[in-house]
Amino acid sequence: MRKKPVIDIRGLSKYYGDVVGIEGLDLKVYPGEIMGFLGPNGAGKTTTIRACLDLLQKSKGEVKIFGLDSHEDSLEIRRRTGYLPGDFGMYNDLKVKTILRYLLSQSGLSDESKMLELAERLDLDMDRRYGELSKGNRQKVGMVQAFMADQDLIILDEPTTGLDPLMQQKFYDLLREERENGKTIFMSSHILAEVEEVCDRVAIIRKGRLQVVEDISSLKEKMGKKLVVEFDDGVDPEIFKIDGVKDVKIEGRWVTMIVTRNLDQVIKNISKQNIINMSLETFSLDQLFLTYYSSGGSGT
Amino acid sequence: MNLGNTIVMELKSNWRGYLVFILVMAFIVGGFVQAFPSVAGAFEDDLKGSEYIEIEVEDGDGYQDVTLSWDEVETADNYTLKMGPTPSMLVPNEIHGIEGSVHTVRLEEVDGEIPEMYFVIVAVSDGTGEFIGIETNFDRAEGLIEFIGLDYSDLRGVLSMFWGVFFILLIGIYIAYISVNSVSKDYDDRRMDILLTKPISRRQYLLEKFSTVSLYSLMLLVVVGLITVASVYSLGELDTVSASTLFNTTVLSWPVFLVIISATFLAAVYLENSKKAVGFAFLFVLIQFGLDTVGSMASGMEYLKDFTVLSYWDHEALFYGEAVNWTQVGLLFLLSALLIGAAVMLFEKKDVPG
Ligand SMILES: Nc1ncnc2c1ncn2[C@@H]1O[C@H](COP(=O)(O)OP(=O)(O)OP(=O)(O)O)[C@@H](O)[C@H]1O
Ligand SMILES: [Mg+2]
Repeated sequence: MRKKPVIDIRGLSKYYGDVVGIEGLDLKVYPGEIMGFLGPNGAGKTTTIRACLDLLQKSKGEVKIFGLDSHEDSLEIRRRTGYLPGDFGMYNDLKVKTILRYLLSQSGLSDESKMLELAERLDLDMDRRYGELSKGNRQKVGMVQAFMADQDLIILDEPTTGLDPLMQQKFYDLLREERENGKTIFMSSHILAEVEEVCDRVAIIRKGRLQVVEDISSLKEKMGKKLVVEFDDGVDPEIFKIDGVKDVKIEGRWVTMIVTRNLDQVIKNISKQNIINMSLETFSLDQLFLTYYSSGGSGT
Repeated sequence: MNLGNTIVMELKSNWRGYLVFILVMAFIVGGFVQAFPSVAGAFEDDLKGSEYIEIEVEDGDGYQDVTLSWDEVETADNYTLKMGPTPSMLVPNEIHGIEGSVHTVRLEEVDGEIPEMYFVIVAVSDGTGEFIGIETNFDRAEGLIEFIGLDYSDLRGVLSMFWGVFFILLIGIYIAYISVNSVSKDYDDRRMDILLTKPISRRQYLLEKFSTVSLYSLMLLVVVGLITVASVYSLGELDTVSASTLFNTTVLSWPVFLVIISATFLAAVYLENSKKAVGFAFLFVLIQFGLDTVGSMASGMEYLKDFTVLSYWDHEALFYGEAVNWTQVGLLFLLSALLIGAAVMLFEKKDVPG
C-alpha cells in the first residue's frame, strides 16, 4: 500500500461564471514523488493549482493537502507549501534581496541560509532591483522564494519558462535533490522532455478533465524504439518475426521497424547479414502526449 | 511572528512618495498661513481717503440719518458732498456749498430698506475741487462675508476656508490614491499570488495595509498641525486661535480620512483594478466635497451635507473654539470600522484574479 497522499483532490470543479475551468477532477500526489501535470493551453492546470492553494474558491469537490482542508486549514497548508505561480511579478523598485527577505519573514522564518544557497546556485544577483532583471532572472527569484522556506510540498506552475537550457538542467538537479530530501513536488509543464526527465508520474488534463495518470517508466515501456537498418543486400523478412517487433517496412536494402521488447534478439538476427548503417531512436513521449492532447484517446 | 512585516514593506516601497507629500503639504500649509495678512488686508476697508472721514448713522422710523464729519482743509472755501449707490455713480446727488466740516443727510427707506450709499467729500477752493475721501453707510466686507460665509479678515475664517477646501481635497485625494495603490498595485504587478500563498491570512494582509495608510495619514496630520502652529506663531496670531485649537482641529480630521481610506480599500478589493479604483476614490472624495460645498453655500440645500462624512468634522466650529463633538468622532470611527470590515470579508471570499 502507498502512503497517504500529500495532495488529495476529489471531484474538484471550478467554474468561472459560465466558463468551465476544471470539471470533476480526481488526483492524488504521494509523498516523495515528482508529479508532472500536463495539458494543452487552457486545459485547467493553473486553475487546479490555484484552487489547491485557496486562491480560488472551489465550485464543487474537495481538496485535502497533508490531510487538511484546502480552505479551512489554508494557513497551515501554506506554512508547509512553497509555490511558484505561472505568471507573477514583484516589487519592481526593490532589490531582490529585500524582496526575498520579506517573503521569507512572511513565512515566519529568519534563517537565510537556504535562500542564499539557492541564489548562489541559480546564479541570481541579489543586489539588483527586480524591475531591472531579465525574464529568466525574474523566474529565478520566483524559484528561490518557492524553495527557500524548505517546505514539505512544492507546487510549481510552469517553472522553467524563460530559463536557458543550462539553468533548466540546474533546476532539474534541484528538483531531484529536493525529492531525495523527502519533498513532494507537483509541477505543471508544457515541456514534454522535462516531464520525461524529472517526473515520476504524470497527469494529463484536457478541457478541464483528467485524461490519464501514469508512471513515466511504464509509459516509456509502452512506447518502444524505432530501428532503421541499411543492409548491403536484400533481406529475409523472416528474421524480424520476433515477439515485440512490429510495423516492419522493407524497402529494398532499407528496413524500418518498431521494437518494444527483445531488442537483444533483434540485433542478433540482423547481425547475421552485413550492415552498412543503423540507427535506433528512442521515441520521446511526444506522440503519446499529443494523442491525449488532441483527442483524449487512450494512448498507444 | 510575521506581524508588521507588511507595514515595513509598504513603507520600504513607498517612503519616498510619502515623505515628498508631507513636505509639499507642510510647504503649502505654512505658506498659506503666511499669506493671511495680505488676505485680511484685502478685506479691510480700503476706500480711498476713508480715514479722513468719520461716519455715524442713526436709524429712525423709515429713515436713516447719516452724519459725516471730516478733517478740515484750511484753504477750502466750502465743501461738496456727492452721493450714489456705487463709487462711480455719484453725480446727480450733489450738495454744494457746505460750510464747516459736518453734514447730516437723511436717507429715506426704499422698499423697506435703507439704501446703501457711497459718500464722497470734495474740498472746493477758488472753484476747483480737491478729493478728500470716500465712505459708505454700510460694511462692505460684511456683504462679502455673508456671501461666502466666512470672515477673511479673521485668521480663523481664513483657516476654515483653507481646511474646508484645499486641505480636504489635497490630503483626501492623496490619501485615497495611496490607499488604492496599496492594494491594487499588488494586483496590477501580479504579486498577489505569491503574497497570499505565504502563511499570513488575508485579513492580516489587508489590515496591515490599512494600518500603514492610516498611521501615515495620522503622521501627516500631526506634521501639518505642527507646521500650522509654527506658522501662526510666527505671525503673532496665537491669541486669535490657540496652538492647541489649531493642532487639535487639524488632527481631528483623522477619522474623516479613515473613512476615505476604508471606503477606498473596499473599492480596491472589489474592483481589483487600480485604474477603476483610483477613479472611484477620486470621485468619492470629490462628491463628498461637492455635496459639502453646495450644502454650505446654497440655501435650502443644507440637507446635502448630511450625506457627507465631512460634516462630521466641523473644522469651522472647532477653529472658533467650540468643544469637540465626540459623538461625531465616534461615528466616523465606527463607519470606518464597518467599511474596512466589509473590505476584509469581501477579500476573504473573493477569487484572487490570476
Ligand atoms: N479568471 C478567469 N475567468 C474566466 N475564465 C478563466 C479564468 N481563468 C481561467 N479561465 C478559463 O479556465 C480554463 C482553464 O484555464 P487555466 O488557466 O487553468 O489553463 P492552463 O492549463 O493553466 O493553461 P496554460 O497552459 O495556458 O497556462 C480556460 O478555459 C480559461 O479560459
Ligand atoms: Mg497555466
